[in-house]
Amino acid sequence: MVQNVKLGKNMRSVSIVGIGATPFMNLIKNDTYHGLTNGELFGHAALDAMKDAHIEPRDVQYFFHGSANPHVLNHCITPNVQVADWFGMRGKGSLSHSEGCCTGYIALEEAVFAVASGAYDIVLSGACDMGTGMPDGNTPDHMRVEMSTEILFPDLDSIFDRAYGRYLGGGPGMNHDDWINLYAHENNLTPDEIDDVLNHQSYHMRRAGALCPRAVRRTTFDEMAKEAGYDDVWEYMKSPHNPKMTQYLRTSSDSCVADGAAACIVVPTEIAHQFTDKPVEVLATGASVLDAIVPHLEKKATAEAARQVFEATGLTADDMDLLFVNDFIGSSAFLAAEEIGYLPKGEGWKYVLDGRIAYDGDKPINTNGGRTSYGHAFGASGMADVFEAVTQMRGEAGLRQVKKLPKHVFLRGFGGAQNVRATILRAGF
Amino acid sequence: MDNNNTIKTEDFWNPEHIVEKFWNGLAEGKILARKCKECGAIEFPPHLACNECGYHETEWTELSGKGVLKSFVFTGILNARLELEDKGVKYVCGEVQLDEGPSINAIILGVSKKKGREIEPKLPLKVKPVFFDMGRYTTLFFELDED
Ligand SMILES: [Zn+2]
Repeated sequence: MVQNVKLGKNMRSVSIVGIGATPFMNLIKNDTYHGLTNGELFGHAALDAMKDAHIEPRDVQYFFHGSANPHVLNHCITPNVQVADWFGMRGKGSLSHSEGCCTGYIALEEAVFAVASGAYDIVLSGACDMGTGMPDGNTPDHMRVEMSTEILFPDLDSIFDRAYGRYLGGGPGMNHDDWINLYAHENNLTPDEIDDVLNHQSYHMRRAGALCPRAVRRTTFDEMAKEAGYDDVWEYMKSPHNPKMTQYLRTSSDSCVADGAAACIVVPTEIAHQFTDKPVEVLATGASVLDAIVPHLEKKATAEAARQVFEATGLTADDMDLLFVNDFIGSSAFLAAEEIGYLPKGEGWKYVLDGRIAYDGDKPINTNGGRTSYGHAFGASGMADVFEAVTQMRGEAGLRQVKKLPKHVFLRGFGGAQNVRATILRAGF
Repeated sequence: MDNNNTIKTEDFWNPEHIVEKFWNGLAEGKILARKCKECGAIEFPPHLACNECGYHETEWTELSGKGVLKSFVFTGILNARLELEDKGVKYVCGEVQLDEGPSINAIILGVSKKKGREIEPKLPLKVKPVFFDMGRYTTLFFELDED
């Protein structure tokens, strides 16, 4: 791969002035939520973001709708058209985009481009996916049934290259464990030690999720262990209650599929204070995309995207106060943290064991609980991380508020086998 | 260039079928790749341009299929290759670097859990190609070259 991208400066600085998010939930199993639709979820997130920015739908000039898989999950191809009327934007310009589980991070990047270019002043960008279910045949949108394995399993391969990689087979099979396997060998860690590290990481993510009202999994592992009759939570974590799903990942390190939406409003920084006392500037976004056939692609793409964004901003990992990593592969959280320099090389695993990556540690990661606790509504997950990042920067995260009010936050987006984004936010107040 | 509006479309635009040629090659036991006309890097599997240096033009070349296995993982319930599980084949997924240079994530046949634990400390290990009949197409896997 050629690594010669040098990010330029935006034509004008862009800031986030409004955020909105539904909880992440299981719409199929939760009677309160069953029957809600894509337009309603996206609409609530969008209107919440507008309310947060003290604007009305009439003020918004353009919007983006992101979703990872609108065809299978919602039987539609251009969801932007189908949701626009739900929040008063009939007739305005909009765009649908779909980059797998990286969609929600790219949603922010695209909205920034739209404003930075000078084309628009007030842009909404949101993402919504309903991962737990699918349309109940050819029926109105509120009629949904649980996703069936007959539909899901053949479709999972659709993120892998159909010309070659899918049928050569190695990439799809290495998607989950390639990086943690490499890390274990590079750092001479035994399978048992890696197991401990991943279990501790899930444990601390859940401690945050338990304090996050929008998270789908809020029962701590301590409570689950006690419920199952274990005095020692670490024994429980290694028990058949938490089985291995891959060579390295137990259920606790696997994402929890959910339904949900999140959105934000971006405007030029020069007018941001008209909308909020606490605007958050989007400094830059580095980008790298590698197909699953490339060995160690997640490590390589993460390093490249981080290089771009650090060079563009002049900042270093030491300047970052909080990190978000799209960790639907649980191990990604501390691995990406180490790769970008947020944790020292070769020592990230010790930080995990010591709980220093927890919301109340000195190197916090994923204070909403990440994909293993907050849940994973595919395309919406990234925008849910943006929602949490801004919430933490404003100091409004309640019991899971990090110790030091974040000035800079780094987001590592990942998904779609695999798109990577690296975005740095700065508190503009 | 050509202002003759009566020219047949197929006469002025008739590209090679790269993907088709690659898979047809595997069916004949040949591993086709492209070689960069500027930097000489091997583009594998074959594409139009060079991803090593970013030059626009490549040409056909044939690979031996020999290389080394540098790392591998076992699959589990979440990431098993169902098309192989269905056939009851023992396999792992790993990084194979071909002798001609390029590296890909590939499937290595004949490695059980036990065998895998034996060979892991000895990596990198030599591999050779297996042209595997999947019914409607032939694909490329690898196996340990223990000769
Ligand atoms: Zn080249």
